[in-house]
Order: sequence, then C-alpha cells, then structure tokens
Amino acid sequence: MSQKKYGIVLDAKKCLNCKACTVACKFENGVEVGDEQYRIWVAEKELRGTYPTLSLDFEPSQCQHCENTPCATVCPTSATYKTDEGVVLIDYKKCIICKACMTACPYDARFVSEVHHAIEKCTFCYHRLPEGREPACVETCPTKVRVFGDLNDPSSKAAKLVAENDTYRLKPEKNTRPRLFYIK
Amino acid sequence: MKLSGMNLSRRKFLAASGGAVAAGLFAANLTTLKAVASGDAHAPTGEKGEKHIASSCEMCVNKCGFYAHVVDGRLKKLNPNPKFFKSRAMLCARGNAGAEEPYNPERLTKPLLRVGERGEGKWKEISYEEAFALLAKKLAEHKVKNDNRNSVAFASSEGFQEEIFQMLVQSYGSTNTVRHPTLCLSSVIQGWSSVYGVFPDADLKNSKFVIMFGANRAEAIVTPDTIDFQKYKPEGAKLVYLDPRFTNTAAKADKWYPVKPGTDLAFVLGVINVIITENLYDAEFVAQFCEGFEDLKAMVAAHTPEWAAKECDIPAEEIIWTAREFAKAAPAAVAYPGRRTSWYVNDVYFRRACAILTAICGCWDTPGGICPKASVPLTKIDPLFPYFEKTDERIDIASPVKNLMPNDKRSEGFPTDEVTYLGEKDGSWLRFRDGILSGDPYKVDMMVVYKQNFIEAVPNRPKTMEMLKKFDFMAVIDIQMTEVAFYADLVIPESTYLERWDSVHNLAGIWPIATFRQPVIEPVFGTKSMFDIAGGVINEMLKLPELWDDADEMEVEDFKYEIAEEIFGKPMEEYIKHQMSAIPGGYEQMLKEGVYYVSEEPTYGKARTPEFRFKTRTGKIELANVKYAEKGLSPLPIYAAPRQPEAGKYRFILGRHGWNTHSGTQNNEYLWEIQKENTIWINTNEAKKLGIISGDEVKVTSSVGEQTIKAYVTEKIRPDCVFYAHGFGRLSPQMSLVYKKGASQAAILEDYLEPISGNCALHETFVTIAKA
Repeated sequence: MSQKKYGIVLDAKKCLNCKACTVACKFENGVEVGDEQYRIWVAEKELRGTYPTLSLDFEPSQCQHCENTPCATVCPTSATYKTDEGVVLIDYKKCIICKACMTACPYDARFVSEVHHAIEKCTFCYHRLPEGREPACVETCPTKVRVFGDLNDPSSKAAKLVAENDTYRLKPEKNTRPRLFYIK
Repeated sequence: MKLSGMNLSRRKFLAASGGAVAAGLFAANLTTLKAVASGDAHAPTGEKGEKHIASSCEMCVNKCGFYAHVVDGRLKKLNPNPKFFKSRAMLCARGNAGAEEPYNPERLTKPLLRVGERGEGKWKEISYEEAFALLAKKLAEHKVKNDNRNSVAFASSEGFQEEIFQMLVQSYGSTNTVRHPTLCLSSVIQGWSSVYGVFPDADLKNSKFVIMFGANRAEAIVTPDTIDFQKYKPEGAKLVYLDPRFTNTAAKADKWYPVKPGTDLAFVLGVINVIITENLYDAEFVAQFCEGFEDLKAMVAAHTPEWAAKECDIPAEEIIWTAREFAKAAPAAVAYPGRRTSWYVNDVYFRRACAILTAICGCWDTPGGICPKASVPLTKIDPLFPYFEKTDERIDIASPVKNLMPNDKRSEGFPTDEVTYLGEKDGSWLRFRDGILSGDPYKVDMMVVYKQNFIEAVPNRPKTMEMLKKFDFMAVIDIQMTEVAFYADLVIPESTYLERWDSVHNLAGIWPIATFRQPVIEPVFGTKSMFDIAGGVINEMLKLPELWDDADEMEVEDFKYEIAEEIFGKPMEEYIKHQMSAIPGGYEQMLKEGVYYVSEEPTYGKARTPEFRFKTRTGKIELANVKYAEKGLSPLPIYAAPRQPEAGKYRFILGRHGWNTHSGTQNNEYLWEIQKENTIWINTNEAKKLGIISGDEVKVTSSVGEQTIKAYVTEKIRPDCVFYAHGFGRLSPQMSLVYKKGASQAAILEDYLEPISGNCALHETFVTIAKA
C-alpha cells in the first residue's frame, strides 16, 4: 500500500471566479462542451446584503475524493474504485451508466460522458501525476486557489496548509470524509 | 447556489429521463460542436508523438506564456509557462480556450471575394495569390483615381503582427491609420504622461494601500496586476474600490464605494485636499521633483471632503479615511491608473488627478508605488520606407467638421487640434469616422483592416454603417467572420497565433520580459500569417509602376532590397534571429523557453535620483502642466459635474468579464458555454418600479438605437445605472454562437469624445428601459 494520500487544499477567498480552472479541465481531460458536462466548477454563492452593503463568495469545487466513498459503495459493477493514494477513479469499461453513483454522490460531482460512454468526474488529473505535474486546475489558476499534494507528507505544502489553518470540508454531515479541505 | 446563472444540479436530469433519453439529449444539443470537440481531426502532416512547445497567448492584450501540449500534430492543451513570471505562471479561461481557435468550425479558411450585395453573405473562394493581386490593384486604383494615397484608410488592432501590417501601410504611404487606443486607454496614457512624462505601472505586489477606480482587475484581467492584487496582497494592505457596480473586484475589496458615475475626480480632489490641508504629503519629494504645488494647493482648497461627498455620493468621513490611510502607506500607495479609460468627456483631468495624488505622496519609482516601465534590450528593426508625394494630412486632423458628435459643456472650449496629442499612427476613431463621413477636405473611399472589428468596437454602430457606404472597396484580414469581415468586399484569412511565427516583443513593465510566437501546429487550413500576406501584397504592388511614381527612385530601390527582399523575402525566423542577435544564445533560448529577460526582480529608483530629468516640458513632475496651459487647457485638473440622466433614464455603463475579450472571443464554444448571452443589470428597486423581473425581455433605447435583451435584476448596481457586457447581439451570421443573441453595446452607445486624448467617452449615454 502506498503511504501517499492525495488531496487539495483550497483558499476560496482568493478565487476571482474567472473560470480558468474549468476551461483548463475541459481541455486536459477532453470533456465536451455542454451545460451538464463538467468535472469541476466554480459556484457563485448567494449575494448577501442589500445595496450598497454587499458581500459575495465563490466556491470552486469538484469530486471530493472521499475516504468514505458513497459512489463506490453503490456501484454494482465496481467500476468506481479507489487507488492506493486514495484517488477515486472510474473504470469506463465496467461502467453501465446505471447512475446509482450520480444519485449517491452528495456533491453532484458526476455526469454522463458521451466521449467515454460512462459516468465520469474529476480524477485529480491522475494521468499527470506520474510526470510530476499538478492537476490542470491547480496549475492554471491565476491566484493559485488550490494546492495539491500528499496530505500524509508533513513537508508537503498541502499538508502544511491543513496543519497551519482552520479548515472545513463540504457537507460534513454526510460523513464522507472528503480530501478537499477549504481554508476558513 | 449558482453556476453562471444556471442551477447547479445535474441530477435534476435523472428525474426527467432515463439514461438513453438523457444521452440522446446531450448528443442532440451537441451535433454542431462534435466535429471540433471530438479529437479525431488529425494534423495535416500525419505527424506522431507528443511535444511541448513554448509560445505566447493572443486571446487578449497580455500575451501570457504557455507550453502547447501537442499530441500527434493536434493541439491538446495550453499549459502556463512556469518561467513566465510577468503573468505569474497562470493561464486564464480565455488563454485555455485558445486551444480551440485553430479548430473553430467557423474559421475563415480561404480568401473570399464578395459576389452578392454587401452584407448579403455571398462569397466566391479565391486563392491567396489572387487576393494579393486584387488588393495591390485596388490600392493602385485609389491612388491614381483620387491622386491621393490618403484616400485609403488602414485600421488595425493591437497585436504582435500589427507592426507588420503597419509596414504594409508604410509601403503604400497613406498616413490614415487608426488603431485601438482611442477606444480604450488613450486618456489614461495622456493623463499620467502629462504629469510624469511617461505612462507608468502600479506595483500592486508591494503596495500597502490601493485605490482602484472601476479598474475591475478580478474580471478585466491585466497581468501581473490581477494576480498581485489578490494573491500577493501584502499583510494588512487595503484595497479601496470605486465602481457603480459590485463587480468581483468589489467582492474582494476592503471597501467598495458605489461612486456616482463621472465624479471620481471629485473624490480624488477631496483626498488631495485632506492630504494637503493636514500636511500629510511628502514635502521633501514635492520640493525636489514636482512643479506647480502652490497652484495645486490653491486649486484644491475649495475641494473639501464635504464638497466632494456631495458630488460623488461617498461620505466625507470615508474620503478623509482614504486620504489618511493613503498618506500613511505612502510611498507604498497607489491610485491605480487603469487601462480601458474611455469613460467620460473629461477623463484626462481625472487621470491627471490620480497621478498628482501619487506624486505629492512621493509614491514614485519605489516598491509598492507607481513605477516607470522598464524593458528588455532587443535589436530594433526600423526600416526606412520611401517618402511618397501623394499623401495628405491625417483625416482626423485635417477634417474641419466638429459638429457630428454630441456636445457636452464639460469639454466645450477644449482646443481643436486634439488628435495631435496622440501617437502618430493611433488616430482618434470618432474624429476619423466623422472625417470620412464629411469627405472634407478629401475623400477616403477604401479601407484595409487588420483584425479590428470596429463595427462592434466603435460607439454608434449606425454611424459606422454609414461610413462603410463611403468605401467602394474594403479588405479585411482576420481569423473569423467578424462583422467587419462580413461587410467587406475581400476577406483574407490569417493563421491563428498558434500556427505562425510572430516577432519578439518587449512586454515593458515593472517585471520586463520579452516573448514571441512560434507555430505549435501547422496551419490547419493552410492559412497565412500577416507577415506572409504583407509580403505577398508588397510583391504585387512592386509590379504596378503607378504605385511608385511619386517617390524618389533611389528610395524605391532601397525599399526593394531592404524591405521587400531582406525582410519579407526571408522567413520570419530570420527577423526574430536578428532581433535576438545581440544576445548570445538568445534565439535558441526563445525557441525553447518562450521568454527572454535580464532579471526576475524589478529595479527601483532610477527615476528618482537628483539628476533624473522627467520627459515633461520642465523636466519635473508637472502637477500643473505647462504645455496644457499653452494649449488653452487648464494646467490643473478642473472638476465639472457630469450631466445627469433625466427622469426615467439611466446611465449606460460598460465593464468586462474575465472570460471574454472585447468582441473577439464570444464565438469560441468553451467561452460561450460560460456566458451564452449578455443580460442587462438593473437595480432591484428600479426594476420593481418598471415592473421588470430577471429574465424579462427589455428594450434598451438611446438616441442612437434600440436593443432587446434579458434583464438581470440585482442589488449589484447603482439605481441610476444599467450595464451589459460587450460582444453579444452580433450581426454576422458566421458568429453563430452569439448571432442575434443578447444586445450590442455599439448599437446604443452615443459617440461622445474626450477631446484632449481623442478617446471616446463610453459612459455618457443615457437610455430608457421598458419591458419588451
């Protein structure tokens, strides 16, 4: 077993909602144009206040690569699986598009891919990792909102950010234990 | 939770349909896009293998560095170049979406000659050779027919090959060129230069206090500023942001002041008043470097924060706070210059005031302040063109007609030779167009355009369409069927920036860097670069003796050798090698890394030594400008209250989103899917009065025209303003993704002029809004 535990730490306060990450992801992963076709997204949270006292936050996100993985649990063909480093992937050949995983995922991170004839989602750009390259969304971001790394390696920037900051994870009540950490 | 205005739930789909139906729907929606997105269009070369090639972006003005990931001859992705420190190793949404441009299904692929009526969309494909010969013939015809080379106008937009286009212009000899600055930044250049002698940059990476005026850096991306104001903001630093809209920059600012449009100058004068009254300015710096302080002091005495508050709708205590904090942070404090400053008829005075504020606080050429641009040493190529007799004065200067534009008392009485203040090739678009329309003192009846879609870019579209009627021939070089191309007689396709060589350019700034372009793929459709096009047309021109009979024979011979042969007769690589010739290994480094620089660190302070002479009349920082006084302008920035919309009208204001550049990128499907059409922002309370809710179709009407657009009812805008984004509501059917989708700005904007800089004033139009 690998000792590595990949994750992403996000400082959403830095996000400009410029969409560089979502476009980069589409090219890197060959995701087609289409309103339902996206592996990652930037959500504009609800505007708070009334004119002229306003505040607005953005929340970039993607598959949380949960440690407790509801999508894998419900998959009847074991198409969804976890790598040694904890990256949740899909074996397109095994996927029968039953969409049980889409229903099970609390983060709405999955969609039907016409390219692969399978369900797909964020892979942390798993194909880039052996070359020592960061996921496309991490790399292209103007303000470097996302930091990718091995959360088990205390010397990694990602692990340090988790150690040094108050962080939260999305939908903790689902007990999915995401690998995406947001800095408060 | 919202995702570009859509509900963020894909699972809603599950409720409505089974898998097969859903899949069918996806496919049905995507049939026209599949050919591009599917990856099966191989490179014409049949080449195999993976490559990463360094080059630079052309999706906007910034030219960020990337490595193109090419698989089997097809471009897969553009990745940021980690060595490109000017853009802090990032690539934005447009930069990424650039990978679609060569494969865009509506790209121009073959030269087209109009066969139907203009604007009918009927074309005949011709060869590049035929296109070059035709263009040369038309140039000659117009020179002979009008006995004046200036009867042909040349319009171009900013870019690495614009200098090549200008070489074609100079080979012909018309002085009638018009570029983009007077649709954009000529007023900020003029304003800051009138104080410091140069147009400087802001060191946001080190600034402790930044005031931004409408420069929406979160969305109007400028590198490195967009990254620095957010990512590198020093601990405890403050950003104060003035804008009638709550933009993404406002969301990131420490303070957002929804300033009353057109009154930013009152705010700055109030700030200067406090700083001088409370003795917070840098007296030593002022004494050593500045001219005109006593005049300034006397002028701003009346501009108390209380006075300013009444003008600009920002409370006096906020103005006082801003002044004190600015002075406290100085010299690491910035009144941010901005870029697209084509706002108001007296914009230059406002920009001058921003420059003056930084000057009296000593925020000059120091970390965190305003710094002169530095550049990288390159070998210049500056060939001499023949001097032609049959030319004239520029039409925007020569034309006496001044009453075709709307008037504003704030700019009345400004001198009449405005455009002479500009760069000699820039021109002033509004004066230029009126000059052509008047036909006085001479006729301009042909135009050659390089990548400037002025039908959408220049305010008052109906007037632009009138101008087109004056041309009996118009040739357009571009990559897509823009509106200008659609209404042309000859369309010549260019290779995209990913398929061609572009010469080396200095990206001058606090972090100077030089970059270039090399083809990362072969031209997908066998198109040519502007360099090839210019060379081809010049060759054809040389075959026509009537084009050279008003120039000195020796000069023409020199031209044939030095330009036609030595530049255009050789590949662009030779040009680039020459530019890099003084740097050992420079060319090879450029090919490999896509960048050349001397240092990654800025140097400060060269322009604040005792012996430094500023490029102003007095050699000092001119708080009161000597030349202005001579021209009959006020040497100091005089405030005049803006006109206000009558009851029932709103001020139409402009702004940017981070995923589109002007009108140039909307027909790229990866950007289009982020925003499919524009919507008009209307303040919630005003919308209620008008009985309008989000999604309603509304009619927007000005004195120029009318557009129909969907409403976006929001708290994020002042009640007296409305806004919609640029680049939608298009006229060209071959911009099919945005053809007749949403509304065009040019179609309703009135053509007010900022006379000092020749800039257009795009925030002076008042509109009515009614449910459609």
